[in-house]
Amino acid sequence: MSDKFSRRDFLKLAGVGAATTAILTGCGPASRYVKREPYMLMPEYNYNGQSTYYATTCRECAAGCGLVVRTSQGRAIKTEGNANNPLNLGKTCARGQATLHGLYNPDRVTDPIKRTRGAAAGTTVAWDDAIQTVADALKNNKPEEIAFLMGTTSDHLFDLLTDLSAQAGINAPVRFGALSMFEARATLSKAAENLFGEAGMPFFDVGGAQVVISFGANFLETWLSPVPYTRGFAGLREGQTKKRGTFIQFEARMSSTAAKADEWLPIRPGTEALVALAIGRLASELRGGPLPRVFAEVDTAAAADAAGVKLTALEHIAEIFAASAGVLAIPGGSALGQSNGLAVAEAVLALNAVADNFGKAGGVFFSGLAPSQTEYQRPASAMEMQDFIQNMTDGKYKVLFVHGVNPVFELPASSGFKAALKGVEQVISFASFPDETALEADFVFPDHHALESWGYQRVVTGSAQPVLSGSQPVVSPFYNTRATVDVLIAAAQLAGGKFAEAMPFKDEVEFLRSKVAPLMSEADGFFSAADLNTFMAYFQQYGGWWKTTDGRTAPNAADVFNRELDASEAEFAGEGEFFFVPFVSPTLAEAGANKPWLQELPDPTTTVMWNTWVEINPETAHELGLEDDDVVKIISEAGELEVPVYRYPAIRPDTIAMPFGQGHTAYGQYAAGRGSNPADLLGQHFNEAGDLAFAGMKVKIEKTGKKQPLSRMESIMGVYGVGLGEEH
Amino acid sequence: MIKRLFDWLKQPLGLIAVGIAVLALFSAGVYGIYTTQQPPEQPIQFPHQTHVAFGIQCLYCHPGAARGPAAGIPTQAKCWGCHNQIQKTMTSELLKPLKEAVISGTPIEWVPVAQVPDFVQFNHRAHIAAGQNCENCHGDMSRVTIAQNPQVFNMGWCLTCHTKIAGEDQAKLIKLSDCGTCHY
Repeated sequence: MSDKFSRRDFLKLAGVGAATTAILTGCGPASRYVKREPYMLMPEYNYNGQSTYYATTCRECAAGCGLVVRTSQGRAIKTEGNANNPLNLGKTCARGQATLHGLYNPDRVTDPIKRTRGAAAGTTVAWDDAIQTVADALKNNKPEEIAFLMGTTSDHLFDLLTDLSAQAGINAPVRFGALSMFEARATLSKAAENLFGEAGMPFFDVGGAQVVISFGANFLETWLSPVPYTRGFAGLREGQTKKRGTFIQFEARMSSTAAKADEWLPIRPGTEALVALAIGRLASELRGGPLPRVFAEVDTAAAADAAGVKLTALEHIAEIFAASAGVLAIPGGSALGQSNGLAVAEAVLALNAVADNFGKAGGVFFSGLAPSQTEYQRPASAMEMQDFIQNMTDGKYKVLFVHGVNPVFELPASSGFKAALKGVEQVISFASFPDETALEADFVFPDHHALESWGYQRVVTGSAQPVLSGSQPVVSPFYNTRATVDVLIAAAQLAGGKFAEAMPFKDEVEFLRSKVAPLMSEADGFFSAADLNTFMAYFQQYGGWWKTTDGRTAPNAADVFNRELDASEAEFAGEGEFFFVPFVSPTLAEAGANKPWLQELPDPTTTVMWNTWVEINPETAHELGLEDDDVVKIISEAGELEVPVYRYPAIRPDTIAMPFGQGHTAYGQYAAGRGSNPADLLGQHFNEAGDLAFAGMKVKIEKTGKKQPLSRMESIMGVYGVGLGEEH
Repeated sequence: MIKRLFDWLKQPLGLIAVGIAVLALFSAGVYGIYTTQQPPEQPIQFPHQTHVAFGIQCLYCHPGAARGPAAGIPTQAKCWGCHNQIQKTMTSELLKPLKEAVISGTPIEWVPVAQVPDFVQFNHRAHIAAGQNCENCHGDMSRVTIAQNPQVFNMGWCLTCHTKIAGEDQAKLIKLSDCGTCHY
C-alpha cells in the first residue's frame, strides 16, 4: 500500500464493495431457490399442496399426551396437541413441540449395527442377521438369563414383553426413567399405600382447589404430567366461578413453579415433614375440635426454628388453611428425594385430611386405572435398579435388551451401571440415537422414531377419564430402522418353541389390534364400533380410546389422623457445607439435549441456554469471592465436577442447585460434551420407599480460577453493578 | 488523511484510478444482479410449451392451485400416466431422467422458480376463485421451456394489481390492501 492510501482505507472500500454485492445477490430470487421432492406416487387421500393431519401420541415423556401432526407431501411439519385427548386437550409442552427435532435429527442411528463396546463406530448389518442375533439370544440362553430394561414410554412393547415373560419364562421387563426417579413416584405410591391402605398414583385436583400448598412439587415443569397440571393451575388462577386461588410453595430454591406462587418459603432442606406437621397442628387448632394424633407430637416453634422460618409465617399459612374451603397439599420433587422422603409424603398427604378434601373437587384422588390396565404399575425405584445392577454384576444376566432408556446417563454414576455391563455377555440396544448406553452395547438395532411408530401409551395420571393414547406412523420411516416389536415377533418365531407360541402375530399392527380389541366390549367408551376394522379406524382417527366417565376413586382416609409419623429431620450424606439440590431441567429433561430447539430455549428462571450452571446465592458467592461465570469445582462423597456459577438471588444461602439434562458424553452433536451432569455427584442413598435421596447430599465448593461465560437471554447490565462503572 | 486522499484523487492518475474503480464496482454489481436472475438448474429440461400445445390444462398437473395455498409439483406417477404410452419416452435422451427416476423409484428434485419470501402467505386458491388466470402472473407458458419468472414477485407488483381490481369499491380496496391479508 502507498503511504497515501492506507491498508485501512483499502479494507473499508473492499468492505463496501462486498456488502453491496451481498445485498444485491441476497435479495434476488436465487437466494430462495430450494429443491422440492414431490411424491413419487400420490396417496389417494392427499392432494397436491394440501396438508394431511394424523393423531398420535407424544413419547418425549411418559405422560401420554395426544398429538396431531401436520404433514405435507409425506413430511411431518408441525406437532400440536390433540384437542380430543382428555389428558392434554390440544396443548403440548415445549418437549412435545420439539419432537420433530428427534425425527429429523442428523445423528439418528440409520441402520442396524454391530459394534465393539466403547468404540465410536460400528459395522452395518442386515436386518435378517439382526433378527437372527436376537433369536439366538433368546434361544441359546436360559429364560432367567434374559433381561429387558425399558423406558417409561411404549406401553405396547411393555405388554408384549410381559406376555413373553409370562409364557416363555424370561425375566419380566424392568422399567426405569430419570424423570420417575426425580419425581419420586415410588415414594408417592408407598405413602398412599401407608395412609390409605392402597397403592396407586395420587391425583391432585389443582384446578378445583382454592388454596394449593406444594412441598417441592414442580408440577408446572416436569412433574408427573405437566400439561394437565398447567391447565389445572390456570383453573386455580382463572377464578371464573370463584375468586383467584392462592398458591404457596415450600422449596429451598425458587423453581419456575415456585416463581408462579403467591408465597414462596425457602425452608431448610430436610425439614419439610416438620413444617407440614406444624402447619397441620396450627390449622387443626384454629379449626377447633380434638387435635389429630398425627400432628400431636410436633413442636411448632421448634419446627419453625429448624426450617429457618418465623413461626408467624407458619401461623399465617395455617390461617389461610383454616379459613379457606378447598385446600390442597401436594408433596413432590426434591422434598421426597431425601432420607425421610416417605415421612414427608405422608405428612403432606395427611394435611389434606385436615382440609377433608379426599375424593372431592379440588382435593386428592387416586388416578383411575387406564383402559386395559388391571393394577397400578410404577417404574422401578432406584433401589430396585440396584438389585438389577447387582444381578448384572453377578453375571446372572447373559443377555440384556435395552429400549427407550439411557441408564448410563440417567442413573447416577455411583450406581455402577456402566461397570456392571461388563458382567453381561451380550448387550442389545434398540436406541434410535447413539446415546451413552448404545455406545456400551454389542448391537444397536434402531427402533423407529415415535412419529414413525405404532403403539399406545396408558395415561397414568393427569386426566379424570381413563385414557389409552394411541400411536400411528405419521410419516414413513426415513431410515433403515425397524419397529422393536416387529423385531421381537420375528425373532421369537425364529427361535421357535415357547417363544413362537407366545408370539403368534404377523406383525406389530396385528399385535396391537389384539390388545385394542377387548376395548370394543367395554362400556362408556368415547366411541365404539361393531367390528374391529372400524374400531381401529376410529382409534387411529381420534388418537386413542377413552372413557366418558370419571375413573378417579376417593382414597380411604379413615386412619390418616391416627397414624404416627417420625418427623425427624432428613439425614444428609457427605462432608460439605452446602445442601445440594439437583432439579430436572424443565426444557431438556433426560433426553432433550440432542434437540437444538430445546437447547436454545432459555431456562425459565435463569435464561441460560446450551449449558449447565450452578445456582449460588449472591451473598454466599460474595463471601466465597465468586462472580458470575466463575468455574467452581463441586465435590461430593460420590464425585466431583466443574461448572460455571450463576448468582441466583432466589435460593437459600446454604443451598446450591444444578439442573439435570446436560453433561452427555455421547448422544449426538448437539448434546455431547456440553455442560455437566449433576447425577455424577449423587451417592447411593435411598429413602424408605426405595427412591434415590437425590436431594440428600451435602457438597463442598472449590474455586478453580477459570471462567466460562454462560450464554443467557437476560441482560446483566445493572445487576450486581455490572456495567455501571466504578462508583456503583 | 481523507483530505490527502481526495487531493491525490484529483490528479490525472487519480481520476483514472477512480474511473477504473467505479467501472469495476459497476460491473461487479451488474454481475451480481445478473447471477440472481438466472433460472436454477433443473433435473429435467421440462418443455412447458410442448405440454401446453397438446392442450393440457395447467390444473391437470398443478391441481393444488384450485384447492389450497400451493399449486404443487406433479408426482412422477402422473407424468408416467401419459409418458408410458408415448414411444419416444423410451428413446429420447431428454426424457431419460424421467424414465430412470420412475424405474429406480427415486424422487425428482425440482426447483420451483415462482417463489415469495417466507413472510408472505400466498394462497393460489383465492386468486383462481377470483377469476385470475394462471398466465396473469406466470406468463404465457406456451412460449417457455423450463419455467421462468416473467415478473418480480414483490409487494409493489402485488399491490398494483390489487388496487386495480378493487377500483372504486372502497370495502374491496381495504380488504385487498390490508397488511394482514398477506402477512400474518
